[in-house]
Amino acid sequence: MTDPATPQAGAPTAVPAQPGAPTEPAPTMPPPVPVAPAPPPGAIVLEKVTRWYGNVVAVNDVSFSVGAGVTGLLGPNGAGKTTILHMLAGLLRPSAGKVLIAGQPAWRNPAIYASVGLVPEREAVYDFLTGREFVEMSARLQKLPDTKGAAAKAIATVDLESVAGRRVGTYSKGMRQRVKIAGALVHEPPILLLDEPFNGMDPRQRLHMMELLRARAAAGAAILFSSHILEEVERLADRVLVINAGRLAAAGNYRQIRRLMVDRPHTFHVRSSDDRRLAAAFLAEPTVFGAELADGLLTVRVTEFSGFTRIVARVARDSGVSLFEVAPTDDSLESVFEYLTSRR
Amino acid sequence: MIFSQVASVTLRALVGRRRTVLMILLAAVPILVALLVRANTVGIAEVGQTLDGLVVRIILPLIALVFGTAALGMELEDGTGVHLLTKPISRLTIVLAKVGVAGALTAALVVPTTIIAAVLLARPFADVGALAISLAAGTLVGSFLYAAIFAALGVITSRGLIIGLGYALIWEGLLAGILPGSQIFSVREYVRGIVNTLSPDTIDSIVGSGAIVYAAIALVAAIGIAAYRLATYQVRGTD
Repeated sequence: MTDPATPQAGAPTAVPAQPGAPTEPAPTMPPPVPVAPAPPPGAIVLEKVTRWYGNVVAVNDVSFSVGAGVTGLLGPNGAGKTTILHMLAGLLRPSAGKVLIAGQPAWRNPAIYASVGLVPEREAVYDFLTGREFVEMSARLQKLPDTKGAAAKAIATVDLESVAGRRVGTYSKGMRQRVKIAGALVHEPPILLLDEPFNGMDPRQRLHMMELLRARAAAGAAILFSSHILEEVERLADRVLVINAGRLAAAGNYRQIRRLMVDRPHTFHVRSSDDRRLAAAFLAEPTVFGAELADGLLTVRVTEFSGFTRIVARVARDSGVSLFEVAPTDDSLESVFEYLTSRR
Repeated sequence: MIFSQVASVTLRALVGRRRTVLMILLAAVPILVALLVRANTVGIAEVGQTLDGLVVRIILPLIALVFGTAALGMELEDGTGVHLLTKPISRLTIVLAKVGVAGALTAALVVPTTIIAAVLLARPFADVGALAISLAAGTLVGSFLYAAIFAALGVITSRGLIIGLGYALIWEGLLAGILPGSQIFSVREYVRGIVNTLSPDTIDSIVGSGAIVYAAIALVAAIGIAAYRLATYQVRGTD
């Protein structure tokens, strides 16, 4: 039973961008850097965008619009998240449709990079430069008036001052990630694109980075980051775009997405003191539409995950059966994505 | 400022690695050969032909191949190039800086080695000055032209090194000397033409002084193609 109260969540048309949800900069943050001009509501726009690789479709007729605030691009590996971010960064041509950055086409338009920062997923940074040299290079190529000052500020923002004089080749994965972010932030872009930004970071760095991104969003920046980890998106994103198999499976705030994920048909394995009697009792419940016994294992099919979890204990108690184990069978994120996609 | 920033990062990427040591060794070969010749003779008459066969045909394209493809193509392959591409800077500026550095490095190795080998090989009372200057000018132009061609190749294909090697050995090394009319499409012939224009006795040439025009056209074309391909560059292997 899906919730009819959120009909637009999976709508194929562009979902209007939500104004940045209230975010407060955490007290431990370095002072939030004032962001240049605030982006319009449609800072990032995809209009019916499709991208083919040969005869494989990587992104299929995707439309969305992202404004100020933090938006999470959630999906399993290979869903098309990187392809979308690369098209937004002007590094891939859309096979069909429009990709706009601040109203300008992203493809073949280097001028957009003055207002965009990209943090690519690949770790590659010039190994022979020091962290400071790398960020200063970014500042110089952005034609900033005070390259050293801007670089120092960006390095401080990502908390990398202590190793800024060391060659990037000696950096850990997390340090490389942060130096890339400093390079992308140095010109304080109103639009920030990050591909799996938390990969390789330890929990403390992750927290720090989330605070940093929230602060920039609060200052008016439009931030789009990809992730295959639900928990990251939950903690950071005001708005979530779910991508699976190249399609936009759902869009909305985290709570709406979460409900879609929970209120879906599900299968449980149940072990108890009397499986046969329990199966009969379950079948009398409206949320259960199937129960079968095979190899001493009771499999129960239910219409709704949370509905079943609410009744399971009561049904067992009423029929005098002791429950040993109740286990959902397919709670992987992949199956959730598949379900969301199949709803369309 | 943009040009010098891109150039200095490129220079640091290319110098100070095992690659540079190998290139210096390669560039030393003509000098070693000349020393061997010198140890047994007082010098040879065919200095131009000898250095054409050794330097212009083999050493120059190989060194330019390595620096030219490394300057741009390799950076795009290993992913560091993205940091350059996502900046509001002209793609032509990027190409000019890359070709400039790759060409200058190639010339820094090839031109001195050519001059030294020419001086060592020349017979007593030969016009060493004309010999050295003409060969230096020819290899200098050749360095930048080859660097531009190989830089363009590195943007066009991810297999720039191997395709460039095939082009250098098969087309420049073999076919262009044999097929009639093919000379106007051969960098080696341009180098010979420039040498011949400055010092007719050093080497013979089919294209002659026209080589300067051809070389200029080829250089502009290679840089233009590289800049266009870079402007429409699409990252490989996503998702």
